[in-house]
Formats: sequence, structure tokens, C-alpha cells
Amino acid sequence: MPKVEVPLEKWSGKVREVTLGGSGGRKGLTVGGEATLPFLSFEGAMPHPPSVAIEVSDTPASEWAAPLRQAWGDALEDPGAWAKKAAELGADLIVLRLNSAHPEQGNTGPEQAKAAAEKVLAAVNLPVVVLGPEVPEKDNEVLMAVSDLAAGQRIGLGYCMEKNYRTIAASCIANNHVALAKTPIDLNLAKQLNILISDVGLSADSIIMDPTTGALGYGLEYTYSVMERLRLAALVGDKMTAMPMFCTVGEESWRQKESKFAEGVPPTWGQHDRRSLVWEQITALALINAGADIVVLRHPKTVDAVKAAIRKLAG
Amino acid sequence: MLVIGECIHVISAGVKAAIGDKNKKYLQELALRQVEKGADIIDLNIGPQKKAGVEVMTWMVEAIQEVTDARLSLDTTNAAAIEAGLKVVKRKPIINSTDATPARLEALMPLAGKYKASIIALTLAATGLPTTADARIQLAAEVILPAAAEYGVPPQDIFLDPLVLTVNGNQDQAQETVNAARFFKQMADPPPLTTCGLSNVSNSCPKEGRPLLNRIFLVMMMGAGIDSAIIDPLDDEIMAAKRIVEGRQAKDAVGRLYLALADCYAAGEQFDTSGVDKGIPELADIAKTIDVLQNKWIYAHSYLKL
Repeated sequence: MPKVEVPLEKWSGKVREVTLGGSGGRKGLTVGGEATLPFLSFEGAMPHPPSVAIEVSDTPASEWAAPLRQAWGDALEDPGAWAKKAAELGADLIVLRLNSAHPEQGNTGPEQAKAAAEKVLAAVNLPVVVLGPEVPEKDNEVLMAVSDLAAGQRIGLGYCMEKNYRTIAASCIANNHVALAKTPIDLNLAKQLNILISDVGLSADSIIMDPTTGALGYGLEYTYSVMERLRLAALVGDKMTAMPMFCTVGEESWRQKESKFAEGVPPTWGQHDRRSLVWEQITALALINAGADIVVLRHPKTVDAVKAAIRKLAG
Repeated sequence: MLVIGECIHVISAGVKAAIGDKNKKYLQELALRQVEKGADIIDLNIGPQKKAGVEVMTWMVEAIQEVTDARLSLDTTNAAAIEAGLKVVKRKPIINSTDATPARLEALMPLAGKYKASIIALTLAATGLPTTADARIQLAAEVILPAAAEYGVPPQDIFLDPLVLTVNGNQDQAQETVNAARFFKQMADPPPLTTCGLSNVSNSCPKEGRPLLNRIFLVMMMGAGIDSAIIDPLDDEIMAAKRIVEGRQAKDAVGRLYLALADCYAAGEQFDTSGVDKGIPELADIAKTIDVLQNKWIYAHSYLKL
């Protein structure tokens, strides 16, 4: 047999390592650090395989689809109980979404945000990311309160967006947290926001970027392409695209009609409880292969499937 | 390379006011300043001017001809206004512009033939923006040049414009544009002329960052053999870059870098910035800009910052 030499790329850059938790009594989780494209272990190191987060809401998520509500049951009523169950089901970290703070969904304030965060922080010692309702002024209000509450525990705070990045970044500096920088699926804007946040003085190892997830059938390939280009740029040495990437897979895939509806759809779409899980799994697996360092999931079975796939891919 | 001065443009508030007030002096001075700074051709962009186009173009051509004998480029989507300008213009005019859509070609190519005018033709079809050099070349070869031949416009009166797109969002397009401009020169014998709306490359980029992007892109286009470019002749630095490339006289490291870049593009190659001395801030900025335009370094508004 002739010996075939596998052609290898020589990358000059690598992805930043970012640690969530690991201080203030909280368990640490390091993400990033890749020196090659995902899972190409023959070419370069992937010191931290992608992590799986489970999403917890501060509301009982009454609008969620039946398969999700059945899976979580009573835990939906309390973010602490929900987070605890998520930890038992294998989450590497918890993402708490402060849905009730949205001006159109309750418009709750800093006190309620702190109460929900406190429950989650007390229920688990996993790393935690807290996301506001993505209304910049409101995010500032509730995230500042949570930032102070969790000072020193190195939680993730999101989102740091074009309109409010100064406030969130400054709070991350003050309380030793990690900023989640989000831009609408766009390569240039993603890089620009990282530059702006760095310019405020937040260290690049305290930034994780969310390039905005499009679910299967709803822009997945667009997200994939932007993530791939960001990652390739990072590997050739562009430090302002070298942040680990965070994808809200569950939220996006369960938003779509293919995941949401059991009835009123063509019978060829198949069984709802199977179809919706496949939707979430395919979205997650595609984005892990595009370079996602954290995928945020909703269904426990997806968590199992995605973790199993990561184990196989990471060898 | 011929410089088509872009300063008389209806988007400029001063120009818009001067057209409204029939302020001849303002426009004459703006034309003269461009000529003094090295413009060969003065573009007269009057906007669409659906109602008053004929009157405005006639008035403006006559006003500018009172003070300079530079060639004029008649820039409006109003074909009647173009024809009005063609009737009063003294030196060989340029029609700015047709594209590759039947409606524009049928409206403007006959005018170019009838008045022996030059005409700028954008390689843009109704089907959308071309995304490759090949798509641009195909439009030129299959649509624009045949239409020109049909109306008796010789290739040397055609200025093919490869459609410059902004680096902010279309970063892969800069090199496609360069390659199309290079290939246009091989499409006919005698070859057609080439031009481009250069400053489009920095459209939607922050104001302070635009001159450097424009300047470096001009050097690339000149290397690729462009015959003319629509630029701002009042921008001393872009004019200096143009003179350095044309005169092959570099008095400092920046000038030498321009020449090396132009030579590289003349050879049809990409420029490797690894040898540039990044310790000198001005050279480092140029190197980053070259890499942005070559799509090797992702563009962001603050790309020079970190």
C-alpha cells in the first residue's frame, strides 16, 4: 500500500479560552481554545469539546410546545427546581432567560430578576449565563442587578449589543463576569462589536459571541456560513473574531412551526414528538460542526443525543 | 488614467442648492477646482430630475463650458436630459450611464451613436448584482458590446464599469471587480475602455475610514489597467497615489508600497502583506486595508483599531 500523506493546514491563530464560573464557589467551565476547525484532531487541538447548556426560563414557559412541557413537568413552575433537574440531566451549564422582564411579557424589574437568578445560583453550582429580554434598556436594568448579585462568580451576562455594550461590558469588568456579545447574523458586525467591547476595556478572554442562530429551515445555512468564516479568520490570527461562539439552538428551533405544531400540518411531516426533537438535534449538530462552543438546548432527549454525538466526534 | 471628477453631484447639499438657485458661479468654481487638481473630465450629476432635466442639464453644461474646456460626463437617469446636454456640449461628451438592462441600453446607446459620444456601461442586469468576475464579463460580452455594435458605437467609446460594491458586506467582491476590469481590456480589438465608480468600495463605511479604502483600491485598479475612474480630485492623497503609480516615482516607503501593490496587480497576482513593516503605523494601516480588500482580513468599521 502506498503511504498517503494527509494534507494538513497550518493555522497561526487559535480561539480564545474563556472560563465561566471557577470562582466564588462555582464550578468552572472553560470553552474555546481550538487550534483547528471542529473535531479535526489530526490537524490541531480541540482542548474543550463543545458544551451543552440547558435553557431555563423565569416564567413557566406556558407557550412552549407540548413535548417540552411534558419533559419538564412541574419543574417549569420554579427556575430553581428547573435548573436542578437540568443539572441532573447532564447540563454543563445553565442559561437563565429573564423572559418576564420583557415589556410585553410582564415588564418585571430588577428585584424579580435577582430573585430568579438567586434561585438558580442556589440550586446548582454549575456555571450560569443570564440573558435579558433583548430590549437594550431593559437588559441594562435587569442584568446590572444580576451582575451585582453574582459578583465574583463569573457568570455570563447577555446580551451585550450595539446599543448597550458599554454598560454591560463595564459591569462585567467591575464584577468579573463574561459578556455575551450578540449581533444579527453578520460577519462584519460580529467583529466590530468585539472590537468595541474590547475598546471599553473588557479583556478578550471575557467575551463570548452569539452570531444569532437561524434554525434548520430558517437560516441555518446562513448562520453556519457566518460562523465558519469567523472561525477561519480566528485561525489565521484575527484576534477580534477569536471568541468562542454561543448558539441558542433550542429557542430558535422550537420557535418554528415544524417543532411547534402537532396538528394542522401535512401528515408526511411525521410524528410531532419525534419531528420536533430532530429539528433541535439537527440544528445543534450542524452548528457544532460550524464551530459552536456552547449550544443552548431545551429538550432533555436532545441533550442526550447531542452529548453522545459530541463524545463520538471528539473521540 | 483619466480622472472623472465626481464633486458636482446632487447628493452634495451645496450642489443641490446651487441647482435650485441657478447659482452658476458655485458650480463653475467647483468645476475649476477639480480641473486645477487634475480632473480630466467633469461629471455633472443632476439627479433623476424627472421634470426639469432638460432645462437643468442644458443650463449646467453651458455654465461649465463658460469656464473650462474639460470634457463633460452627463450623469442622470433622465434620457431626455442627456440628449439635451449632448446637443450643447462642445467636446466629446460621456454619457453616464447605461447598464445591461434592455430599457437603459435602448434609451442611451442610440444617443451615443447619434452624437458620437462615449458611454459608461455598468455590468448590471435586471436579475440582480453580479457576484463574480465572470458574470460581469458575460454581461459585457453578451449584452453591452453587442448593443453598442448595433447602434454604431465603437468599442473605444465604451467605458465598461465592473460595478464596484462596498467592502462592508460584499467583501469578496472587490477582487472580482478588479479581475473583471482586467479582463475587459481583452474583449475586443481595439479594446473597450474601462472605468469605475471607485468610492462605492467604501460605501456605508465610516467617513474617516473611506479615503484610505478608496486610495488602496484605486492603486489595485490602476495595477489592473483601468483607463479611468470616477473619483474625488479634491482628495489630495488619492491624487498623490495616482501620480505615484503613473509616474513611478516613490519618494518614501508609502510610495514604494503603492508601486509594489500596483506592480503585483499588473502581474495579475494577489499582494502578500507579510513583508510590510508593520512597525510603521501608516504602512500597517495600508497592509490591513490591502488584506481587507483582498478578503483576507474581515472588514469591521474599526478594522484599523485592533
